[in-house]
Amino acid sequence: MRAQLPRRVLLSLVLRLLFLKPVVTGSCSGDDQELLKQLQRQTDFMQDTSRLLDPYMHAQGLDVPGLKEHCQEHPGVFPRENALHGLSRRGFLQTLNAKLGHVLHRLTILQQDLPKVQLTVKRYIYGIRNNIYCLAQLLPGSSETAEPTQAGTEDSPPPPPASDTFQRKLQGCQFLRGYHRFMHSVGQVFHKWRESPSRSRRHSPHRALRKGAYRMQPSMRGKRLMPRGQLPQ
Amino acid sequence: MALFAVVQAAFLLTLLSFRTYQSEVLSEPLPWTPESLEVSINSAQQCLYLQWRVHNLTHHQELKMVFQIEISRIETSNVIWVENYSIPVTWNQVLHWSWESKLPLECVTHFVRIRSLVADASIPEPRFWSNWSSWEEVDAQKSLGQDPLFVFPKDKLVEEGSNVTICYVSRSPESNISCAMEDVPIHGKRLSPNVSVFILNDVRFIRETGTNIYCLNPSNMSGIILYVSKVLEEPKDFSCETQDLKSLNCTWDPGHDTTLRHQSSQRYTLFESFSGKTKLCEHKKWCHWQVAPDSQETYNLTLTAENQLRRRSVSILFNLTHRVHPMKPFNVFLKSISATNATMTWKVHPVGNYSTLLCQVALHGEGKVIQHNVSVKVKSQYFLSELEPVTEYVTRVRCAAANHFWKWSEWIGQTFTTLEAAPSEAPDVWRNVKSVLGSHIVTLFWRPLSKSHAHGKILFYNVVIENLDKPSSVKLLSIPAPANGTELTLDQCSYQIHVTANNSVGTSPASIIVISRDPGNKNVEEGRIQGTEDGFSLSWKPQSGDVIGYVVDWYPQDPRCQLQWKNLDPNTTSTVIRSDAFRPGIRYNFRIYEISTERIAYLLEKKTGYAQELAPSENPQVAVSNLTSHSFSLSWKDYSTDSQSSFIQGYHVYLKPKEEQCHPGFEKVVLSDDSVCCQYKIDNPEQKTFVVENLQPESFYEFLVTPYTSVGEGPHDAFTKVTIPDEYSHVLIRIILPMIFCLLLLMVLCYLTSQWMKEKCYPDIPDPYKSSVLSLIKYKENHHPTIMNVNDCVPDAIEVVNKLEGSKIQFLGARKSLTEMEFTKPAYLYLLPTENYSGPGPCICFENFTYNQAASDSGSCGHVPVLLKTPPSQLALLTSPENLLKTLEQNYVNSSGGSPAGETSLNYVSQLASHMSGDKDSLPTNPPGPALCSEYRTQMAVSLGLASPSPSENSSLSSVTLLDQGEPRR
Repeated sequence: MRAQLPRRVLLSLVLRLLFLKPVVTGSCSGDDQELLKQLQRQTDFMQDTSRLLDPYMHAQGLDVPGLKEHCQEHPGVFPRENALHGLSRRGFLQTLNAKLGHVLHRLTILQQDLPKVQLTVKRYIYGIRNNIYCLAQLLPGSSETAEPTQAGTEDSPPPPPASDTFQRKLQGCQFLRGYHRFMHSVGQVFHKWRESPSRSRRHSPHRALRKGAYRMQPSMRGKRLMPRGQLPQ
Repeated sequence: MALFAVVQAAFLLTLLSFRTYQSEVLSEPLPWTPESLEVSINSAQQCLYLQWRVHNLTHHQELKMVFQIEISRIETSNVIWVENYSIPVTWNQVLHWSWESKLPLECVTHFVRIRSLVADASIPEPRFWSNWSSWEEVDAQKSLGQDPLFVFPKDKLVEEGSNVTICYVSRSPESNISCAMEDVPIHGKRLSPNVSVFILNDVRFIRETGTNIYCLNPSNMSGIILYVSKVLEEPKDFSCETQDLKSLNCTWDPGHDTTLRHQSSQRYTLFESFSGKTKLCEHKKWCHWQVAPDSQETYNLTLTAENQLRRRSVSILFNLTHRVHPMKPFNVFLKSISATNATMTWKVHPVGNYSTLLCQVALHGEGKVIQHNVSVKVKSQYFLSELEPVTEYVTRVRCAAANHFWKWSEWIGQTFTTLEAAPSEAPDVWRNVKSVLGSHIVTLFWRPLSKSHAHGKILFYNVVIENLDKPSSVKLLSIPAPANGTELTLDQCSYQIHVTANNSVGTSPASIIVISRDPGNKNVEEGRIQGTEDGFSLSWKPQSGDVIGYVVDWYPQDPRCQLQWKNLDPNTTSTVIRSDAFRPGIRYNFRIYEISTERIAYLLEKKTGYAQELAPSENPQVAVSNLTSHSFSLSWKDYSTDSQSSFIQGYHVYLKPKEEQCHPGFEKVVLSDDSVCCQYKIDNPEQKTFVVENLQPESFYEFLVTPYTSVGEGPHDAFTKVTIPDEYSHVLIRIILPMIFCLLLLMVLCYLTSQWMKEKCYPDIPDPYKSSVLSLIKYKENHHPTIMNVNDCVPDAIEVVNKLEGSKIQFLGARKSLTEMEFTKPAYLYLLPTENYSGPGPCICFENFTYNQAASDSGSCGHVPVLLKTPPSQLALLTSPENLLKTLEQNYVNSSGGSPAGETSLNYVSQLASHMSGDKDSLPTNPPGPALCSEYRTQMAVSLGLASPSPSENSSLSSVTLLDQGEPRR
């Protein structure tokens, strides 16, 4: 019974993640707060190392003393959290979208090493990207095609793929650790987006997002208010 | 001698010149010397690849040559490998040779050189080696990158159990480099300041993704993956067969899977030697082989398993027609199903020209399997007979090639149930007969028919009762199933009873028993029998020659259990009754009957016994009686000896002795708890009383009565204590009881005498309401009957009677005797005048105690006995009749609400209550005053219907009445 309960909770969460409204209906929800809530949950889910990193380390034999210490995130592969906070909303979403694309590509390479896990995680990432798309639709000027941009350009470039298998193992491990950290940082950003300084207006998502936007982009103060249903840029 | 010296010198010179010539010839390069030697490295396989050419060969010339190759490690003088490589060489041919190094080639520098020798028969001997080529240096470290640390070999694939050599190469000579395989440190040998070598023996498979081996120093880490695969096994159970002679299906057991991640997996190929065809199999366990259309009958198939390290093969040779494994039959049906027969039909798939198949039909039912073989071409059927009615059967069929049996096909089956049939056997019936008041109570028992005899669901039982004395009298009873018996009340005639079982199809044969009017031998004595683990062994003596059998029936002592019986052959005179229902400690009664040819049962013997006797678990409830100073009686008459767990042989009476010696008849025994008791043994189990005598008075004894049997006696649980009375107590009882009786009799006589005296001397005051005057008044239709009208009664004289001083009056209200008060003057009772009375307070007063009363001729009740100890306040109020009247008036006023104004009524007045204050609230504060008077009950009626009685009059009278109603309030 004790083991069944977390399974049920997990199953429920997985189903909710997989069958998001935009995915099922093919159309986006106009409720940006609900989208933020879902993204928050998805990032919370994906920052858990038991989803990817732990199975990978176990399968590769890297979960032993002497090796697991070398499974640290390689700087420059994923943007740091402060860099994400410094981005505009559109820039943040584009960066996130682009990074998730890279993750999907890398997971395809790791497919042989994580045959079961990566397929499930890929579905989660598709769900996140769908919500990113829908959230971006609520930004002003959403009719323009939002090209993913690379965030954190000040970081060093990721290392080239190693030639020998042992180094590739370590790189895969480092990449996945960076991915989980990155999703944690993304979750922090979404958390801030959802924060509202006034508790009485907590249920006014548009206002909350606008406030967050003003806080991140002081230069936008004094400009005209966004139409209802749109997110600030 | 000189000549010899000259000849010798000449020979030596000749020899020297020949050697010189020879050396000159050999020192010249041979025409087929290996040239253009190139050495390369395959790091993955740790191989050195050599390629070279042999020049000066003519266009079509082919020479068989031997090339000797030397390999040195670290330095040229350290030759580690020499090999002769023979190969025919043609013109312009590039020759190749490879060598696998156990030490990774990147670890150290290698040197290679080569020379040749013509070994062709076309070249006459002598044959000489060519000169060595120059040493070719192979330094793989030159091509390494700028990393500070390397580990080799990279991604090496080995089989489980191999020995592997690895090394690390450091750019700078360091001593603090440590290496580990997985998380286990490994230790090696230093080849140079920058290189160390590690030898891993008998490496085992750990995971598909390879074994991690790494070296690290404080700032760098480098590692390799060592892929260790399972050893490729030879395929087992390789076999090929066909279902249709068109294709072969080959199967095998591949053994361990040697597949590793990032490595190519093992593969299987089929090769047929007669046709020369090869097929790469897609699966690891089976493969299809298309049969050649040219009617090839014999096949020689070789299965080859191969991976990067090993190759294994296995072959089979067979005739195609001998490997026919037919498909399972189809269209299996059952038809014409009856109670005992059915017909099964099926079809088979044709197998080329070998259309004759052998099919096996298996019939499963009733826990048995019956198999039959049938020869089939395409369509067949089989007649299933001798089936049991109402039975579920599973019939299955499978087929195989009839000419060359190889394998049976899979089974295919159907389930069916046969139909019902009439029961085939008569029910087993027995009876128990009791004679009650001139009739026979016959209880019939029958056992349900077994499934094999019932042939369906038994719906009811028919019982036909035929009076043998009156042949025309037949009675039919139909008893619905699942009853297993019935009870009949028959008269003293002889009866024949037929019992049949019926299902939906028909009736079983009848089971017949006869109840004779003569109950038979009633005086059969019951014998005892001892059961064993095997049961009860019974034997008897036949009494008459003409019997058709014997029946032994039995039942436990428990009446709730049903009668059981066993039928025996007429030649049997003994049997063993076995039953799982036999329980230890239960008494079973057995009766042995012989069945005459008239089917009358005659009782032969009666037995009773236990399957296993158990010691009694309870002692009888003993009653103690006739307790005297020297004896008492014990009785346990309610104890049933028949319903115990063993045969009761008698009883032990235990008495705990008060003295060293036991009473006569008792003997001293030691109980299980080491206590000493006196035991008296009663041999007769039916003797259930015992008198314990010779006891000491005024003492107590403890006794216990327990039954004893052949397997022990009852529990020695709590003893019962009996206290023996003293010797004279009964004498005292004999004296005291009559005295009490006489005293009571005397009291009764006194009481009766006093009643008589009272009636004669001072009878009770007549009840006015019971007076005959009332009837007269009723006769005169007076609606307000009164007893006495004051107007009609004019007293003309008052008689005053002195009351004795100190008369005792019990004052009930205050619970205080009046003797405590002093009457210093006689008490008087006054009659108030009624004539011309108009003033307040008319009343008639009587003395309370007797009719010896005093009356005053004054018109008031002023003469009131005065209590000497009455408080002054009270005395002041009551010293004159006026005061009394005033008090009465006040009391009336206080209680006037109890009587409607103006209503004519009669009230009785308590005479002595008048001098008590009528104020109810003052009662608790003045209890002694009114207590003197309120004792008296009303004896006189006063009419309130006097002419215009004033409210004050009513007030006084009612007030007195109130005071009379009970004791003072507190």
